[in-house]
Formats: sequence, C-alpha cells, structure tokens
Amino acid sequence: MKNLFACVLLLLSTVTLLSGCWDQQELTDLAFVMAMGVDKGKKEKFDVSLQVVVPASVASGQNGGGGQGSPVIVYKSSGNNLTEASRRAAKQIPRSIYYAHTKIFVISEELAKDGILDLLDALDRDAVFRTTTFVTIAKGGRAEDFIATLTNLDKIPVQKFIKTLQATERMLGENIKVSIDDILANLIDPGKEPVISAFRLTGNSKKGTTPQSVVTTKPPALVTADGLAVFKGGKLAGWLTGNEAKGAVWVMKKMQGTDINFNWEGKKDAVSTIPFISKTKISLVTKNGKPSMNVLIETSFKLSEINVPYEVTNSMSMDVIEKKTAEQIKKDVERSIHKAQSLKADIFGFGDYVHRVNPNIWKKMKGDWNAQFAKMEIHVKVDAHYRSAGKRNNPFWNDLKQ
Amino acid sequence: MSILSKMLKKKHQRRQSDNYRQILDPLKPDDLPIDRDVQMNIKHLQEEMGNSSDLVIRQIKIGQIGGALAYIDGLVDGKGISDYILESFTETKQISEESDLFQFVMDKIVAVGSIRTIRNWNALFDALLSGCTVIFLNGYSKALSGETRGGDRRPIQEPSQQLSIRGPKDAFNETLRTNTALIRRRIKSPNLWVETMKIGTITQTDVAILYVKGIANEEIIQEVRDRLHRINIDSIIDSGYVEQSIEDQTFTSFPTTYHTERPDVVASQLVEGRIAIVVDGSPFVLTVPAVFVQFFQAPDDYYSRFDLSTGIRVLRIIAFFIALIGPSLYIAATTFHQEMIPTTLAIAIAAQRENVPFPAFVEALVMEVTFEILREAGLRLPRAVGQAVSIVGALVIGQAAVQANIVSPMMVIVVSITAIANFSTPVFAMAISVRLLRFVLMALAAFTGFYGIMIGLMIMAIHLCSLRSFGVPYMAPLAPFNTENQQDVFIRFPIWAFKNRPQFISKGNTVRTGSNQKPAPPSQNVKESQNSEGKKS
Repeated sequence: MKNLFACVLLLLSTVTLLSGCWDQQELTDLAFVMAMGVDKGKKEKFDVSLQVVVPASVASGQNGGGGQGSPVIVYKSSGNNLTEASRRAAKQIPRSIYYAHTKIFVISEELAKDGILDLLDALDRDAVFRTTTFVTIAKGGRAEDFIATLTNLDKIPVQKFIKTLQATERMLGENIKVSIDDILANLIDPGKEPVISAFRLTGNSKKGTTPQSVVTTKPPALVTADGLAVFKGGKLAGWLTGNEAKGAVWVMKKMQGTDINFNWEGKKDAVSTIPFISKTKISLVTKNGKPSMNVLIETSFKLSEINVPYEVTNSMSMDVIEKKTAEQIKKDVERSIHKAQSLKADIFGFGDYVHRVNPNIWKKMKGDWNAQFAKMEIHVKVDAHYRSAGKRNNPFWNDLKQ
Repeated sequence: MSILSKMLKKKHQRRQSDNYRQILDPLKPDDLPIDRDVQMNIKHLQEEMGNSSDLVIRQIKIGQIGGALAYIDGLVDGKGISDYILESFTETKQISEESDLFQFVMDKIVAVGSIRTIRNWNALFDALLSGCTVIFLNGYSKALSGETRGGDRRPIQEPSQQLSIRGPKDAFNETLRTNTALIRRRIKSPNLWVETMKIGTITQTDVAILYVKGIANEEIIQEVRDRLHRINIDSIIDSGYVEQSIEDQTFTSFPTTYHTERPDVVASQLVEGRIAIVVDGSPFVLTVPAVFVQFFQAPDDYYSRFDLSTGIRVLRIIAFFIALIGPSLYIAATTFHQEMIPTTLAIAIAAQRENVPFPAFVEALVMEVTFEILREAGLRLPRAVGQAVSIVGALVIGQAAVQANIVSPMMVIVVSITAIANFSTPVFAMAISVRLLRFVLMALAAFTGFYGIMIGLMIMAIHLCSLRSFGVPYMAPLAPFNTENQQDVFIRFPIWAFKNRPQFISKGNTVRTGSNQKPAPPSQNVKESQNSEGKKS
C-alpha cells in the first residue's frame, strides 16, 4: 500500500518535468526591440524597421567597458501587414524578436497621410506589445532614418526620444505623450480626434547612423521635437507647430510648463514668464439653442526674465505683466483653436464635453460634429497670476545709469 | 483517499496500544533491595558499575559500626563532601546508645541540604549518577543519599546565537538547575511551577516542565506531560531530541516548537501562558505552543520603543520574503517575464549574461549551492581555518566566478542579498527552513515562472494553516484571525497597550495590564483638572 502511494507520488512529480518550460526564454535569446518604425512600402504596403539593442555594447562594465560597436542595429523588412513584416524580420535577426520593451512606435509622415488605421489592430491585439508605447510621427522624413539615428546623450536612441518628449512636455509645452491606447480611444470617440507628437530629423541622416556621430560634440544629425500632428478619420490632416501647439496643449489640459514671451516698449520679447501651475475649465453655453464653448484658463507664473527697467516690487505694475501674459496665452490658444477649426478636427475633445453635460444637444450635433465644431463660437478667457520673481526683485536695469 | 485513511487509522491504533514506557530497558538491573551488609553492598555496587574508575568508595566508621560512602568523582562537589560529610563523620566520637544510628547520621552528621532514604538499587543508582553521595551503614537495609551535586560546569555566559543590543546578557548553560534558577529569578511568583521527570532509558536525562499556574492552559500542560511521558527512547542528548519527539508534525520544514538560549525570552513566554521544557545538558530551552509570528519577534523588539521595533519587525518580514523568493524571482523574471524588468536593467542583465553558458536556473543553483557549502563549511571549520575559507569563498563567489563567465554579477548580487536577508530571521530554526524552501521555489520558478512561485507560496500558506502546535493553530492570531491579539504581530504596540495575553494560548486569565497605563506628563493632568474645576466654580 505504501509502495503504491509512493509510486503515484513519484509519477505525479515527473509530470512537472514532462511539461517542460515551453515559454521559457533566456534573456540572451531575446532581441529587444526598442523602437519600431513604419514607412510606406515600395513594393508592399509597409516597410518596417526594427531598432534592436545590442546589450553588450550598451552596458558598461565587465567586458572591456562596453561601447564597442554600435549600441543598436536596425533591421528592415516589409509586408502587407505588420505581422507579416515583423515575422519576416526574423530571417535576419538571430534571436527571437521581443516587443515588450518597445518604447516608441514611429510612423512616417507619408504613411500617416495615407492613414494609420491598418497599423493599430496588430499592436492592440498582441499580448507582448505594450499599448502604452508612445507613438510619434516622423515629420518630413522616413521613420527608418529616425530610428537609425544615433545620439550621444543616451546610448540607446529610444531613450533620447522619450526624454525629449518628456522634457519638451515639461519645459516647453509643445508636445504631449500619446500612446497607442490614447490613439485608439480617441479614434473611436466621435467627440474627439487624435493628435500625435511629431519629430523632425535635422542634419545629415546618413552620417547620423554611424558610431562616429556619437563621439563628436556637434552631432551631424539630430532628432528634434516639432509640434503636433492632427489626425482626422485616421489620416494626417495637418500640423500644429510652435505656439499653436502650445495653445492646443493648454486647451487639452495637459500644460505642465512653458514660457511666455512678449515685447515691451518696442523691445522684442523683452519679458519672459514661466507658467508653472495651470488649470483649464471648459463650459458649454447655449444661447437661443445655439451652443458655444467657453474656455477658461487659470495659471500661476513666475517672472523669468525682464530686460527693461521695471518696478517688480510694485504689485500695481505687476498687474500689467499679468495682463500681458494672459493676453499672450489667449493669443496662442485662439490661434490653435482656429487652426483646429479650419482643419475641422476637434482635437480638444469638446464633443466629449458636450456629450457629457448636454446629451440632448449632442444627439443632434453628433452626426456632423466636426463641421459643427468648425462653425462653433469658442470664447477664451485667461487669468494669469503672478507668484514669484525668482531670486531677485527689481532687475539691474533699474540701477543702470542711462 | 482510502489508502491515506487506512494509514492514519493504523497510526492511531499504534498510538493507542503504546502504553507509557511499558517496555523496560533490558540493560537496566532488576530492582533489588539494599543489603544489610555494607561489604556486600560495596561489592554489588562495583559489580554493577564494572569497577568504573570514577566511582569513589570510602570506608567509614561511626563508633563501632562500619559504613561506606560512595559518589561519582567529577559529578560531586568534592569540597562539600569533605567539609560537610566526611569531617563530621571523623569528628563524631560519641554516639548516644539509645538512638537509632541511621536516624542519628541523617539528623546530626550529614550536613547537606537535601537528604533522602533509599531502599532499593534503582533509586540508589539514580541518586548516585546524578551527583548525590550515598552512605551505607552496616546493619541497615537502606542507604542515605545527600545532595552534593557539583563539579565543573560551564559558567553562565553571554548568548552566542540569539544576540540582542539591549537586554539581559545571560544565557542558559548545560545544567538544568542553573537554567530553572535563571528563569525563576525573573518570575518571583510561587505560581511558577516546575515538574521534573526522567526521559531516556539509558541516559536518564532530567527534563523539567515549567509553567505559570493559573495562566498556562491546563489542557496544554496535560498534553505536554502526556507527550513527554510517551517518549521511549534510549537517549536524550539535547533538547532537539525532545523537540523532535513531541512536535505535532514531523513532515514540515517549519519549527512547531520554539527554542531559545535566553532566559528573558523564556520568562516572557511563560508569562504569556506558554510552557517551557528544560532539558538537562542542553543550553536551549523549548517553549510550546509556538506560532509562526513568534519567529519574527526578537527580544530587542520589546526592549526598545514600539515605533522602532515595529519598523524593524516589518523589515524582518520583508527580509524573510527576500530570503524565500529572491533567487526564484530573478529566475522567473529573466526567463519568463522579461517585460517586467525595467528596460535599462533588462539590457544590463542581458549584457552580463551574454557570455554565461548556463540558463538562469542552473546559474542560480550553482551559486546558491556554492554559497550553502561555504556556509556549512564555515560552521564546521576550526576557527583558525575559518578565516582562510571565507577569503577563498569571497574570491570564488565574488570575483573569479564572474570573471570566468560562470555566473553573472547580477546573480552574485541576488545570492548575497538573499543570504544576508536570511540571517535577519531571529530564530535559526525558521531561517534554516526558509533555506530549504528556497530551492523548491527556485525549481518551480524555473518551470513555470511567477505562476510557479505563486503556486509554491499558496501551497506553503495552506500547509502553514494546517499546522498545529500543541493544538494551537500555527498561524494564530492571523488565521484564525483574532482582533484582540494583533498587538504583537506586524505592529508591536506600546507595552502599556498589551492588554491581553494571547487568547489562543491561555484561557481565562488573559488580562495583562491595568487600565489607564498610557504614560502622560503629570503637570498636564493637573492643569486639566484645575481647568475643569475652574469652570465648575
């Protein structure tokens, strides 16, 4: 009896061995795809390029300090859909392609104009690919060149993308991080159109792919953030750049920090202020059955620079600065709203708001919301509050003998 | 199922038939009465003990009557014998005729604390071999035994295993009497009761049960008594023998009795209602019932303030889990769940593992086993060699293995953290149990990743909940959950807030503190009372 029991136990325990480890993969068997770029294909629909990291040349340390050879390799393949293209890439890559650490998904401008809808299901469905991956548009170039460009601040080019994105979001307010999830959510939402941050490649893209480009202080090719791409119906409809992009970020309630510059007594951009806390309120007003939107922006700013003699300590005189800052913000915001209206793309999600607060009106307007949005009156009001002058009160200009 | 139930039934039957110590030791001599003739007795004694050289027999004479004195050299206090027994024998010249000589010797001559009359040989050997001096008198078929225990013993020293920063510095030694005294010095209550028995058919080891009458649960005391009486083995060398003979469950890696070398720990546990088992010859005292959370309570927790103790205890619990699942997390994350490692780290680990020929599991196993070997060797090696081994170990593990691409530096970090975390468990028995389970979890992680670790932990949790220590659920007061006994689990409440004794141990008498024990500056109270008085007036 005891023997039988032991036998059964032994047999059961071997089952765990038989099952093996079917989805076990060692780290060294994986090709970490850090960035994926999609271009319009020449023969087939998509040209996919994968930026695969070479761990040994990225990690510094034991084996000779690392840094020998390129930190990343870009593989290319093509196909009529994403799966086909990425599976074909396996022919070149000696390890199994691993998408879980993919940080950036780059879409070329050309392809974006044709429409991005065909890309999204593969990304959404795959269990390994993260839908929190950031999406960017390669403005005026091929996605392939983007992800092949080496940078010297961060060894892995993708880190550079991410950090640029985060830095401009915080410092400049011209970009927002958009993930695949965000795009999908905005695409299916009738009251909102997606925007995607755009990057531009400046300089010589050929030279930017060699390791030499990272050992110079003036990189031959740089990837720079360049505003927002507006999508409509899954196709690239237009661009918001510079202050327009800033204005759009204000309305989208994503403003973390930016700089506002304005002229003073004929001196160009003599005063600079930095809004650091901001709040945006949207409200719907219906007058005679005709809806209009109010956008109220409240912000607190610091004085960053003042290149004219000025009584900073006087609160009355600072009221003028407050007013000027508010005006400047209002100008940006109105410009971006006009741009969006001219593109007939409600990137701000006003439609969503109408749907929430007044479903009855929304039912009527839902059919051609983007057209309604283009016609709609939108009032912008900005309250800017002066909070701090920084380390100094009155500028040295006050004491400078004229 | 049926196989299992049959096996259980058999076991039960075996227990039933097992009447306490029915089988006598075949080597033990028959119980004979003591002879009237001293010379016969001496001869019998020498024969029984095979003329052992440590048996000392000294012929004496009181008046006209001959006698003999026997003791075991080394077990007795030699100076005491010569001062209080031999000297009075030699000095006594006059004996009043009418009195009984035996009674006279007992009353007037032998000047030691404890004295007993012995009538048969078994009792005589018991007394003789535990350090008493036995006195035969011609014409009396009985003997006297005087308490003269002594000899060389290890003095009370600082604890070597369970160290504490603050708190008493004395530890138990190998003498039962010293150990019970150390405990009694801390609990000066007549309610501290000591029951003694002899276990081990050959070793005849003294075992004492200590408990505080009125606090300890009577049922558990009876259960301890029963289980101790049931032990029928030839030898008890250490309290570990007793522990393994009385624990509820043999097939578990978790300790279901607590052992300590610190009298302060035993005292505090006795007051909580636990029962201590002191074994002669072992500096480790057992306490029962033991629960899981007890193994995370270090004596220092109670000697420093509650906030610090709580933080450190939480740290200890975290360390427990690191020691348990550290390497398995590494294996699972690097072979199944690469997406869970932050990108930069994943690439760094991949780069380190680039030249390592083994899968992560083998790598981890190699390192863990190497470390365990070093650890075990470090314990056993003579002190002079130990240094050399630790240097070799550090070099082998730390540097050479990495440079030879046998293991990755990350693995070295994981193994070191695991090893250090393992040492933070206050009680060795729990730490060693974790050491064993770690390998099981590593194998599970290598087969099925986090899923396997989760299954392993769940089985462990179920197993822990099924354990009992002398009828008390091992996971108490967590499972079954008891709100009133949470003062000493994860958060160590302030001492004045320990209102109740653990209810799963002691029944009835569970109130520990008076009301309003929270300390407060007196001036404030006065002010408040003055204010309220002022308002009243």
